[in-house]
Amino acid sequence: MGGIDHTIFIGAALVLVSIIAGMFSSRLGAPLLLVFLGLGMLAGEDGPLGIHFDDFRLTYLVGSIALAIILFDGGLRTSRTTIKIAMWPAFSLASVGVLLTAVVIGALATYLLDLSPLAGLLVGATVASTDAAAVFLLLHARGTELSKRVSATLELESGINDPMAIFLTIACVQLLTTPGMEIGWHLPLSFFIQMGGGLVLGIAGGYTMLWVINKIEIAPGLYPILAGAGALMIFAGSQLVEASGYVAVYVAGLVLGNNRHRAQAVISRFHDGFAWLSQIGMFLLLGLLATPSTFISHVWAELAIALGLIVLARPFAVWLCLLPFRFTWREKLFISWVGLRGAVPIFLASIPVVAGVPNAQIFFNVAFVVVLASLAIQGWTIASSARFLGLALPPTPEQIDRVGIDLPPSADREAASWRVSEQCPALDIGFPELPLPRRTRIIAVIREGTVMKRETLGRLHIDDYVIALCPPEQLVVLDKLFSTPPKKRRWMWEDDLGEFVLSANSPFGEVCDQYGLPCELPDRNRTLGEVMLERLPKAFVIGDRIKHDSVELVVRTVEKGRITFVGLELEPEIERLPILRIWRRVTSRLLAASR
Amino acid sequence: MDISDLLTPERVIANLHATSKKQALQELARRAAELTGESERAVFDVLLERERLGTTGVGGGIAIPHGRLAGLSSMFGLFARLERPVEFESIDERPVDLIFLLLAPATAGADHLKALARVSRLLRDRGICEKLRGTDKREALFALLADSAASHAA
Repeated sequence: MGGIDHTIFIGAALVLVSIIAGMFSSRLGAPLLLVFLGLGMLAGEDGPLGIHFDDFRLTYLVGSIALAIILFDGGLRTSRTTIKIAMWPAFSLASVGVLLTAVVIGALATYLLDLSPLAGLLVGATVASTDAAAVFLLLHARGTELSKRVSATLELESGINDPMAIFLTIACVQLLTTPGMEIGWHLPLSFFIQMGGGLVLGIAGGYTMLWVINKIEIAPGLYPILAGAGALMIFAGSQLVEASGYVAVYVAGLVLGNNRHRAQAVISRFHDGFAWLSQIGMFLLLGLLATPSTFISHVWAELAIALGLIVLARPFAVWLCLLPFRFTWREKLFISWVGLRGAVPIFLASIPVVAGVPNAQIFFNVAFVVVLASLAIQGWTIASSARFLGLALPPTPEQIDRVGIDLPPSADREAASWRVSEQCPALDIGFPELPLPRRTRIIAVIREGTVMKRETLGRLHIDDYVIALCPPEQLVVLDKLFSTPPKKRRWMWEDDLGEFVLSANSPFGEVCDQYGLPCELPDRNRTLGEVMLERLPKAFVIGDRIKHDSVELVVRTVEKGRITFVGLELEPEIERLPILRIWRRVTSRLLAASR
Repeated sequence: MDISDLLTPERVIANLHATSKKQALQELARRAAELTGESERAVFDVLLERERLGTTGVGGGIAIPHGRLAGLSSMFGLFARLERPVEFESIDERPVDLIFLLLAPATAGADHLKALARVSRLLRDRGICEKLRGTDKREALFALLADSAASHAA
């Protein structure tokens, strides 16, 4: 039995070390996932620990479970608004985009590695999808708030493009291993059956799970386990009937996450942790599996493919897929740059090995180098590239110390406690005068372990705990009230929302007269907001702009789906000369540095 | 468009006293009326009309009230450094202590927009704002505003 204890000990120790190392690396700003991969490699064959591990089957099993959990968690966290804003662009990127990327990389690999075109395409397919967890983590890690359409597109894309890459990979593997099988109509047909089946089973499974969770009474700690088991059942059940389990489990997560249910807070917190563990486990295992010394023989080709993906295949696919949508060139550039690759390519590359494709090690090695390069190059520069391209929006309060308390869904309220933090707006106001939103009630204030009497409370102190009941949509209002405002209070006008502010209620005619702009008669008596609404896409977001004569009008603030304030950009033509603008930024940085 | 086309040393106020947004605008209107020969009431109304569409407090303690005045013959700028910051309904809720008033003739058209953009770009520079806050001499303030114009013209 000593062998098993040995394995458990090493496994648990690796996870523990990973979590602690992760904490340090996020302070240094290094991409976290790279650390896990590195630790796995250090423990592996070529590292000092020298653990010999080459069980691709086990890796495939663990990888499947981990990916299902990660996708389920991604679904839970994706809100209806994200889908509304980004559905079509994300869908385009996840379908056509993945195919295009695979084909471009396929051609490159065929040429560089001297493979058959089909084997080349397999290389392309394994590295074609972006990684949900990596994108989520890096987008949220450094307090970079992006324009909503960009972040929603990236998030949704990363959630839904794995099934496409998996389908392509498996199709290529089947074609390579089954002699006599040919490319024909059955391929697109099976694609639609798999995706459609996954969608249907995911919706059905998601609603069944919702119903069960709301129906039965069990110990609170069991709800997340129930959800997890349900998710894995939906995943494997779909796979068994030839539908895509990856689509199904993501969709089931979406259904559960966007409907009110019991134990919402416990389930989402548990699955956040669970997804994390899956991510860590997957990277560790993949790191263990890799034998870096075998990379050397083709290292230049592998690096060239990685580079080709970053600078050629991804930008090309993004540019083509986003043509029908409203994205500025800077947004497209950023979306291209955030084509982060994570564990999925390495996992996918283990499929040919398991399936016995001849010379399969090469797929694994290429995928590994691509992921390493992507995490190192793109992962490291994500926040600075957002700033450089001027896409970062003013940050919302950073440390929100809020803990949710579960209420039955019929209550239609959220209960939560907040820790009053330094410099928060609530400190300056007497307790009875706190500007509370509608239908909100403070239940108790706890100071140093004692529940305070309202009459003698006076003002809130730092580190008081406030427990309050409010409608779900007002949680953010209370967050702002009790949290430290963002440290770097950046001026709004630096953020490309226009130089001046106009109320959306202003008559459009008056606004035009004010600046000598032309205004057509029917527009004169309408409000600025109405005119903008007519010319914007249906799901508009902050930062969207319309051109009017020589100026541009920018959506600046939105409340409950209505535009409230509009920015006026006086010199949009500067915007349109990107090279000049970048040049000016570079020179001013250099000047500042030389001073 | 240079700042020196809008401003002269006479149009710089080193220590304006005001306790509210309204008072600051009234005081600026009075000075602008004296310097242009227009009626104080007309200037004040034009500024108020613009504020009704949305605040001109652009954040960072800066305000750029502006408007078009029928009788004016050329673009007119007036810079004021406030003794004490006043509440201005700014977008970042910060009180304002540097104000650049800009009045344009009704016929100005594109020049009005260019001048506004120029002023807004100038006061976007945090370094310049710090220097402006640290000086209470009219000539020095004027020099800061006009000189910076040269380096920003590119």
